Amino acid sequence: MNELVRQFRNFFVSLQLTVVLLILSLLIVFVATLDQVNLGIWAVQEKYFRSFFVLWRVPGSDVQLPVFPGGYFIGTLLLINLVAAHIYRFAFTWKKFGIQLAHAGLILLLVGELLTGLLQQDSSMRLEEGQTKSYSESFRNFELALIDRTDPAFDEVVAIPEAVLGDEGTVQHPKLPFQVKVKAYYGNATMQMGDPAARPGMPVANQGLGSRVQVIPLALTYKPDEINQPAAFVEIITSEGTLGTWVVSPLIGMAQSFNYQGHQWELALRLQRHYQPFSLNLLKVTHEVYPGTEIPKNFASRVRLKDEAGHDDREVVIYMNNPLRHGGLTFYQYQMNAAGKMSAFQVVRNPGWLLPYIACIMMGIGLLIQFGLSLTSFIRKRSAAAQA
Amino acid sequence: MLGSEMLSRPYLSVLIVASLVISGCKDRQITAYRAPKDPAPAVMPPSSGQAGLPADHPPIGGGAMPPGGSNMANTAVPTAGGSDLAWTAPASWTPKAGSAMRKGSFSVKGAGAEADLSITAFPGDTGGLHANLNRWRGQVGLPPASPAELDAALQHVDGQGLHFEVIDLVGTGGNAPTRLLGAITNYNGNSWFFKLTGPDALVAGEKPAFLAFLQTVKTP
Repeated sequence: MNELVRQFRNFFVSLQLTVVLLILSLLIVFVATLDQVNLGIWAVQEKYFRSFFVLWRVPGSDVQLPVFPGGYFIGTLLLINLVAAHIYRFAFTWKKFGIQLAHAGLILLLVGELLTGLLQQDSSMRLEEGQTKSYSESFRNFELALIDRTDPAFDEVVAIPEAVLGDEGTVQHPKLPFQVKVKAYYGNATMQMGDPAARPGMPVANQGLGSRVQVIPLALTYKPDEINQPAAFVEIITSEGTLGTWVVSPLIGMAQSFNYQGHQWELALRLQRHYQPFSLNLLKVTHEVYPGTEIPKNFASRVRLKDEAGHDDREVVIYMNNPLRHGGLTFYQYQMNAAGKMSAFQVVRNPGWLLPYIACIMMGIGLLIQFGLSLTSFIRKRSAAAQA
Repeated sequence: MLGSEMLSRPYLSVLIVASLVISGCKDRQITAYRAPKDPAPAVMPPSSGQAGLPADHPPIGGGAMPPGGSNMANTAVPTAGGSDLAWTAPASWTPKAGSAMRKGSFSVKGAGAEADLSITAFPGDTGGLHANLNRWRGQVGLPPASPAELDAALQHVDGQGLHFEVIDLVGTGGNAPTRLLGAITNYNGNSWFFKLTGPDALVAGEKPAFLAFLQTVKTP
């Protein structure tokens, strides 16, 4: 065998690698747990576990250096190590087929979890009775939407994600006839009535609601049941000059719009939307309790699913442990306010959702075969010994 | 046998660069698409606290809902069916976040101590007046009393179309005895309980405010 290939094989098959990786996992879990005090669960997951490297920002600059392997790195190497050792050390015999199958099932389960971690997208869809929506919204990510509302039949949307706004630069897109300059961006802010000029050091908005309110930046919150409400000062610059500066924030409930070259545009900083080619209309919200008590028995929402492309127009009931699967998405009953006739669904896109089921079936069959073989050979030996 | 052969450097750096590229920037893509018209106002902001905004601004807060992780038992589920009573609390009482069981919750502070006012409602008569009074007696460490004794201790208060049975109980337990001021009324087939518990002196001082509070309770 080629010397280089043998080096590779020895490295990946070695038990020393397993031990080193497990020690690294211990260390990273320990450090991440300590850091959770500062960052909260979501940020810690992103920084330590859903990354190939743990990055450390050099103080006083924007440079980020990888200083430690992250969760994906360690997990991938562990998986390679498990698979390689398995292939290398166990010869294929029918007697060991059950164990092989069970191990394969376990490997598939781990791979499935990795794919889920990489590919799963969660969002929420909140409907009131009678309302129809064809989009779901991110739980905590925002976007700056520039909406061309000129056409009466539809809107043209250009969505700039929050990460780009954080750069505080100038954004240009082929679909926009103007530049969007982000003068300032605050990850979390509140607003109050007041003269905006009275806050020094911040840009002044001369259009829309921003000309009458003050923006007060707040510290980022990492609490699990709070989300940050960002705010930004945005200037629209055309080839003829600037159209003005607006304040955008999800706290602003009124539309802020302007006209340019015969088109009516609207600015909104809102939760990131994911549009789907079908729509859900909430018909009825039901909350049942066990009679005579306040213990919840069932939360059910009757919705009407309309999908033009699939020629689907039917009523579906979504309730606990009975989600709706359509268009590659799964809609789970997530929250409900029966008195307010509101229902919220958790919308999950997970291409690998079948893998855990397949993996468990494989492991189950593998173990059955293995124990079955053991049992029959044991019985055979016993009856042979009894006859002797 | 394995010894100290490390992966040769070119392969290691390829591995590192590849993984950095993979983990990078898919959150920074600007997307453009065609969307159907929003039937309602375009922006529905999540719940937040805000101070006053201009008069022509539509109200903010399309319903308080914490994103991520709260189970359905925490949403506002009415504990008694049908419409709710309304009340006006004195300014010195601080509203507290309610729970799934409570209709209303206040913190009454004074002289370094704190008392708790809870408002709950349950369908039916929940075992009857005397059973509930004895339940409250047990909560402050008193033994159960006979119906005649309970009736004698009751104070009857009439509010806006509602009749309250009010009881004032001083407990015997512990270093500082607990006082319980309780009021029960029936409305719309449900039993409503207004209970103020706390240190003896504080609750006794708040009794006039409590009785005045009962007067502000009204039906919708």
